[in-house]
Amino acid sequence: MSPRMIAFRDNVEGVLLACTVLLQHPDSALLCARNMDDLRSKMEFSGAGYDVTAVGFRPTADCSVLVQKLLGKRKGRMSGRDPDVEHYIGLVLRHSSCDPAGLVRFICSCEGNADMLYSGKTPTGKKYYSYMRDVSRSYHRLSMFARPDLVNGILTVRTDSPHMIGDMFCSWLSGKNPDLPVAVLEKGTAWIGNGRYLGLENFTHIRSSLLGSLSFSRGPDDIDGLWDVYYDSQLIPGRRNKKHAQHLQPKSSSAISAMSARDRYKVERGISNCTLDNFTD
Amino acid sequence: MTDAHSANEHHFTLTERMKILSEGTKYDSCNQSAVCHAFGPDGRCIQLYKTLLTNACSGECTYCPNRCGRQSTRTSLAPEEIAKITWSFYRRNTVEGLFLSSGIIGDAERTAEKQLEVARLLRGQGFTGYIHMRVMPGTPLYLLEEIADYANKFGVNAETTSSVNYSEICPNFDYTSDVLQRMKWTRDLINKKRREIGYGGRIVGANDTQFVVGALDEPDRDIIGTVDKFMVEYELRRPYFMSFDPVPSTPLEGHLPSPKWREIRLYQTSYLLKDYGLKAFDFDGVYDDNGFLLDTDPKLLLAMSHPERFPVKVNSASREELLLVPGIGPVSANRILRSRPISSEKELMQMGIVLSRARPYIEINGRRQTSLSSFMGAGA
Repeated sequence: MSPRMIAFRDNVEGVLLACTVLLQHPDSALLCARNMDDLRSKMEFSGAGYDVTAVGFRPTADCSVLVQKLLGKRKGRMSGRDPDVEHYIGLVLRHSSCDPAGLVRFICSCEGNADMLYSGKTPTGKKYYSYMRDVSRSYHRLSMFARPDLVNGILTVRTDSPHMIGDMFCSWLSGKNPDLPVAVLEKGTAWIGNGRYLGLENFTHIRSSLLGSLSFSRGPDDIDGLWDVYYDSQLIPGRRNKKHAQHLQPKSSSAISAMSARDRYKVERGISNCTLDNFTD
Repeated sequence: MTDAHSANEHHFTLTERMKILSEGTKYDSCNQSAVCHAFGPDGRCIQLYKTLLTNACSGECTYCPNRCGRQSTRTSLAPEEIAKITWSFYRRNTVEGLFLSSGIIGDAERTAEKQLEVARLLRGQGFTGYIHMRVMPGTPLYLLEEIADYANKFGVNAETTSSVNYSEICPNFDYTSDVLQRMKWTRDLINKKRREIGYGGRIVGANDTQFVVGALDEPDRDIIGTVDKFMVEYELRRPYFMSFDPVPSTPLEGHLPSPKWREIRLYQTSYLLKDYGLKAFDFDGVYDDNGFLLDTDPKLLLAMSHPERFPVKVNSASREELLLVPGIGPVSANRILRSRPISSEKELMQMGIVLSRARPYIEINGRRQTSLSSFMGAGA
């Protein structure tokens, strides 16, 4: 009898289905693929001689039922800010270092105890919990410090995250600006939100090189100067808590946009009160 | 606004007025950073555009730069202008919402109506961001009900701890009817809205209020006692503390500013009340002789003043006992409870416990850090 291989899609549903099958056949090899084409090409290299079970490529499973079956009804999260199990897996899968097969084996090793995902008690648990937190922090950092520019009437942001969060951020930004098309550039891909204004699907992705050919009729909205006036108006030099301000405007996030960099510069150097008026009075 | 006011204003550009009114709120800053922040339900820190509708105020609060009669430039922004600036900042993701306060335009009712105009306008234009409204003392119930329909967070500032103190710094209002009664109403409205909207819809923030710290001689013991009382009576979750800074040409201009560490220690104490289940009387041993907090972490002082409570046995202690240990917070206490038995300090470290702080106060399977007193034989 040939050895078994579980081929699964690299999404939450695929991971959960692979866990279910792996628990029944613990000696199986695991193979992860983005879609059927990707699976076929991977099988050409490594699938020969295996009895392959492919799961997650057709949207049929109810993830919440699968989670309950695998990890019980109890919510494992330790704090209100921890995501639920489905969202946890979704975030881990976006991590640049994530090995989906390793994640499947880790979930199976929890033996039905969702707490193991969050407690950080084992080195593997700690690793995946850190992955989840890394991605979550990276997304929050973008949400906090990315400053979109209006390019051809499209709100445009370039992400610098090593993790695959462009679609998440695009979805968030387009929800925030329902009356404008939004583009999030992630490596060679441009995620488009509110694409209906551009004659595209409402949420889609295109090659980033094609973004220049799209436009939406809206004038520029140059508020950089206005923001600086507002930012400067809020400071009381005697009350400034530099450490706290540094915490809220971290150095690692200042490179995301020119506006964030300026704000960070002011945190470090303070706000100059010397203007041209000082020389002309 | 009166015609006289309008006449004085005509030469200010939108940017200039925005600057003046934003500057008018800077003394109201409670976070010692540059821009006003709030925390979303996911724990994310969000920036807000903080402005006054007008800095022309009929109130005579003794600490306030906008008090009636003080010589300063008075101006206002129209609701449409505030909406326009908010949208501009919001689109560029510099802010995620608006914090709107105001000087009192004649009376609280008229002011609240103007504030409501801004909120109505923004929501009518599809604005889904965060709106925090500071309502004026004495705002009528019918307007608070409408504010609850639009704002994510709203509340009235208590400023101080008693009627007597309040009448001293805010002589135009009555503490009991204009503040406490409004806090009761906001509590009821928040609960009603939360029931209606549920957790899937718009965020409805908990009841909040603000204290001016250092304008009067009231000790921290009174402030903490009042915060604790408000948490029970008005379901207050988030007290804000604004350090007093003397403003030129106000009755308190000669007073000393409140040290900024005091604000920080008060915030730390309020978190211990809010998230750690402690009560105001638990802190009786940590104040100085005059009832003021010291410039040290209040949780550490609390632990040092109760040596009989320690060491806490990590593998058998209750959540309440774990929470008393410096370096262990609500999240890490939950992690310990769910991950028992704990066999080493390394496991605790992996769970996010700050071991350097916790080590003197914990015991793991009978092992603990030897203290100098026990080493010398005194602690046996």
